[in-house]
Amino acid sequence: MDGTSSVSAGAPLATIDILGRPIAFRIAERMKRFGVDTVYMVGQVDTLKNAPAVPADVQFVAADGAPWRDCEDVFSEVAQSGADLVLVQRIGPYLELDYEDLIGLHLDRRNRVTPVCGTSGDPLGVFCISASRRNDAAFLFRHQLQESRTPCIGYTYRGYCNPLQSGADLRRLTLDALNGTAQLPPAGRQIRPGVWLGEGARIERGARVLAPAFIGAHAVVHPAAVITRFSSVEHHAEIDCGTVIEDASVLPYTYVGAGLDVAHSVVGNQRLLNLPRNVEIEIGDPKLVRTLSEHAPIRALSALASPKRLLQNVLGLRKPQPASLPAAVKAPSAALKSPASLRAAAQSGDSEFPANLMVARRYGNE
Amino acid sequence: METSRPVVVKRMPDRMNHRQAKVFLREVQPFLLCDRPQVVFDLSQVRQLDAAGVDMLLHCMSEVMKRDGDLKLAALSPQAATVLELTRTDRLFEIYETSSDAVRSFTYFLPNAMRPTPKLTVPLSDSNSAEPAKPQGGALAA
Repeated sequence: MDGTSSVSAGAPLATIDILGRPIAFRIAERMKRFGVDTVYMVGQVDTLKNAPAVPADVQFVAADGAPWRDCEDVFSEVAQSGADLVLVQRIGPYLELDYEDLIGLHLDRRNRVTPVCGTSGDPLGVFCISASRRNDAAFLFRHQLQESRTPCIGYTYRGYCNPLQSGADLRRLTLDALNGTAQLPPAGRQIRPGVWLGEGARIERGARVLAPAFIGAHAVVHPAAVITRFSSVEHHAEIDCGTVIEDASVLPYTYVGAGLDVAHSVVGNQRLLNLPRNVEIEIGDPKLVRTLSEHAPIRALSALASPKRLLQNVLGLRKPQPASLPAAVKAPSAALKSPASLRAAAQSGDSEFPANLMVARRYGNE
Repeated sequence: METSRPVVVKRMPDRMNHRQAKVFLREVQPFLLCDRPQVVFDLSQVRQLDAAGVDMLLHCMSEVMKRDGDLKLAALSPQAATVLELTRTDRLFEIYETSSDAVRSFTYFLPNAMRPTPKLTVPLSDSNSAEPAKPQGGALAA
């Protein structure tokens, strides 16, 4: 598995949800559709193991520092169990490969190993290997799928390809999937043309979701938030009030604060990757972006009340709220005061202007 | 009539968190409290800007506007530009590509013959372009 990003907390991008389903699972499901008996996944599989709806007949092999050695072992095991052909695919690039066609070419040419190459001849990390050719397989694994033992004619792939090596690739794949360029159906029901909703997702009253867009399972979109222009909000993400998500991907378990403008970006793991500027920033302020807990009770508790507010309630330190509407209207707005954090610093200097002097804004040279 | 009042250019530090914002505000406070202050903040070195930093910028803006002055931002680093865009505060400021452009923009409305060369209190080594100053963001040059 390759293609990691700091927005995915170092996990391979193929293991995180894109439109409700990890690419690794989609590849496994595609293989199963083409008649592959058992799929083994070797590498950083911890997140996939615990993911919901793991495809049937998928076995996980957690690599302990030597993934290629594990690949060799798995190959030997599969060969011994009576398989004729073994398909090896590096989980990273997203391809819509016709495995039947690949196997057909492999058998016709009587190849030992058939690599899949792009139209420009670059290897795509997919191989069809005859199970009897263990030495060829071992050579391939020892060279990390970069070199074959014997030269062989490759299979040229002309379909859709996304290298999925960076956050930008992730965003492009989401966009291509939502506009139908990639055959990557969103995991959810289509509630309106171009709007997909995962199981348990909540769009609160006043929020707007403009097609095409995807809201993942158990995600929450708060009032006055807007999700638009090929945006995806993955499972258990939360978009707070008034925030606009435009041409952006919000990764699983990510909270996006209120009143923000997230455009042309990938947000996750307390980081924001801005694609037009090609800059990634770490956001340490939990009011803006934070990672939500994967444990439902902790999430529920933090959603109910912040510890500060709980303490204020217990000690009775909360400001009394106006009892009636006219009193609330007459109450001075907190927005008219200077920020509390800066008040002390601002008060250190004496103002030259008396408080009762009104300053009128002048324009130009008048 | 516009006179050659000084334009203060202040470079912001690379980290603008709660603590740094307080220190920075204390430093710029005298410039904000003068009559019709003309202030430019250079954000070219800012690598981290959080909500406290944005809060501080808004506070400076409100202080300057109270005194009929103006605060402009210049040479935004990609990180600073991203945070300002994220928090929707980029539209509240006039933003210029360089500090020189921002300084020059204070005399934008004057007829050419009357345009004095503004005095820089904090000299910067930025390149001076001959082009008239153009704001980057949605705000129009006043």
